[in-house]
Amino acid sequence: MKRHLTTTLAATAALALLTACGGGGDSGSGQTADGKQILKVALWNYATTPEFKAIIEGFENANPDIDVEPVDILADDYSEKVTTMLAGGDSTDVLTMKNVIDYSRFGTRGQLVPLTDEAKKLDPAKQSGLDAYDLDGKYYALPYRQDFWVLYYNKTLLKQAGVAESKLQNLSWDGYATLAKSLTKGDGANKVYGAHQHTWRSVVQATAAAQAGGDLLGGDYGFFKDQYRMTLDLQQGGTLMPWATASSQKITYDTMFATGKAALMPMGTWYASRLLADTKSGKTKVEWGMAPLPQRATDGKVTTFGSPTAFAVNKNSKHTDAAKKFVEWAASEAGATAVAKAGVTPSLQTQAILDTYFALPGVPNDAVAKSAFKPGEVVLEMPVGDKSSDVDQILVEEHELIMTGEKSLDDGLAEMSKRVKNEVG
Amino acid sequence: MTVTLPASPRTQVGRRRSNTWVGWSFILPNFLGFAVLTLVPVIASLALAFLDWDSYSTPRWVGLANFERMIHNDTFWTALRNTAYYAVGHVPLTLCAALGFAVLLNQRLRGVRFFRTALFFPYITSLVAVAVVWNMLLSPELGPVNQFLRAIGIDHPPGWTTSTTWAMPAVILASVWRDLGYYMILYLAGLQTIPGELYEAAQVDGASGWQRFWNITVPSLRPTTFFVLIMLTISSFKVFDLVQVMTEGGPGRSTLVLSQVIFREGITQGRFGYSSAVSMVLFVIVLTITVVQFQWQRRSER
Repeated sequence: MKRHLTTTLAATAALALLTACGGGGDSGSGQTADGKQILKVALWNYATTPEFKAIIEGFENANPDIDVEPVDILADDYSEKVTTMLAGGDSTDVLTMKNVIDYSRFGTRGQLVPLTDEAKKLDPAKQSGLDAYDLDGKYYALPYRQDFWVLYYNKTLLKQAGVAESKLQNLSWDGYATLAKSLTKGDGANKVYGAHQHTWRSVVQATAAAQAGGDLLGGDYGFFKDQYRMTLDLQQGGTLMPWATASSQKITYDTMFATGKAALMPMGTWYASRLLADTKSGKTKVEWGMAPLPQRATDGKVTTFGSPTAFAVNKNSKHTDAAKKFVEWAASEAGATAVAKAGVTPSLQTQAILDTYFALPGVPNDAVAKSAFKPGEVVLEMPVGDKSSDVDQILVEEHELIMTGEKSLDDGLAEMSKRVKNEVG
Repeated sequence: MTVTLPASPRTQVGRRRSNTWVGWSFILPNFLGFAVLTLVPVIASLALAFLDWDSYSTPRWVGLANFERMIHNDTFWTALRNTAYYAVGHVPLTLCAALGFAVLLNQRLRGVRFFRTALFFPYITSLVAVAVVWNMLLSPELGPVNQFLRAIGIDHPPGWTTSTTWAMPAVILASVWRDLGYYMILYLAGLQTIPGELYEAAQVDGASGWQRFWNITVPSLRPTTFFVLIMLTISSFKVFDLVQVMTEGGPGRSTLVLSQVIFREGITQGRFGYSSAVSMVLFVIVLTITVVQFQWQRRSER
């Protein structure tokens, strides 16, 4: 009897383990207790990304019969997590497309619901970044947000050096370099760098590609040369923090700019919302402004680069209509207004929405900032193609070698071209 | 346990059968976990190595194409070389350091417990913290290591994780520091099993400390050394976390190891076929080395 008991117990334990593993499937009917339709939206860092909350609240107000439930994912893990979710047949209704490369992968695999008809209703002249979602004439996502690069500057440091802010309105990269050199001061712990360029390759490479008209996937990278030479020259002269230090210490660009350790900093518009929030909470006291990204020539034309963010509908969604409604609302004027009010640059750019943005407390609303927000052209940061991520990896690796001085500029550029041609065929 | 209680007389066969059942039921919970979470994926990845699969669409049979691509891929060879470099540095250094500290801390010293614990700390510390702190220590400009080197008259200390030449030694250094405590404990356990008479007899015969170490300690520890060697080799070849946090394979590809290639190709790029092919190669390498070590051990036991 006793022996029998042991066997039974062991078997039960094993069974319990099995069922425990198998549990946790779909969580019910998709409705709240008061009969609202539940709509799940995959997004990242909900607490620190204000526009998600703004969009969700705005949408719920406009559609009282729908209850939006955010599925919060860590920003760094977002792409991998969503890939895994989709592979596992997850039915989260709306997916945020964090970058265009992932979007094209999901779209071409048929994991997203086509939104071509919805996209055609939008005005491509005003919906900035829409064309990035064109996959052979089909659209699977609608952008609600468009970030692009501007030049942030520290007003206090500029004033101390006696530099007029209007000088930044029409700045060339040569002018930027000269200005940065003159703004560098101090030593050791008190050192103030004239400029800070974050360790990302895009700071150099995407700028060069957008402004010199180069193709990042092309396999011929001579067009990087001017931008690299200027950057390396500034680094050599101590105007920029050495790339190696910034990288090995994992220095964040926010640390550099928000504590007044750098006077000028090219960075994406997303940083403005962070600065707004941190200024409001008292985390930073830096007096900041925004200017257009410096250009190769001072002919008044502003070309910058950026990337849109979009919402898409999961093919496995059981509430496609509600999900589509959400995606359309986020891309609409009402959605854009909500996004702008959160201090983030919406994809839909009309004068009314720009005015909403500049009316926010804390946003620098001088002429320089306003011109920064009306770039002539925003080039997509990384062109979409099935080789984009492979090329990206190579460009990142060679960028490191050039910036740490492990390879000379010419050797590094030659190696980039060689590797992209050989390894990504 | 209750199972061992004398039961009413039964036939031999019946008892054996029910014993088998009980045995199975005991290992079943663990084995099920192993089978579902390890064995099946391993077998699946063997099959995946010959497929083209992005985790979503229907897998396509591509034969040896994944392996062909690997052979012609420069990044694969770089990663393979780097992994071997890491293993060749990490295995002997950790082994010697662990043995050295074990022998040292096997003496009757004041505060020996404290030192044993202190050496074990790195192993139980969060790896990300370890990597970040080492990065700070080894920072080329501001790091204490280079400040010390400058203070003792070395004008151009290495750039450590920012230099293609020194990044791998830096990673090896950090990993030896981290792992040595664990293997030291294994060696300490081994040292406890060596009978004291052997040392006494040797001492009577006039053997020096060094001679006692080489002729008693080292041979008596052979089973432990063998185990440590196997574990170290396996862990060296599958190193991932430390490199990922410390250098992310950089600068350039100077510390890129095979498991990073597997991770990037599989999880990031969604090329599970190719990534499985690379992991098969890694598996075969580790298997071969382990088998060779077993053979060598068996021969030297005779």
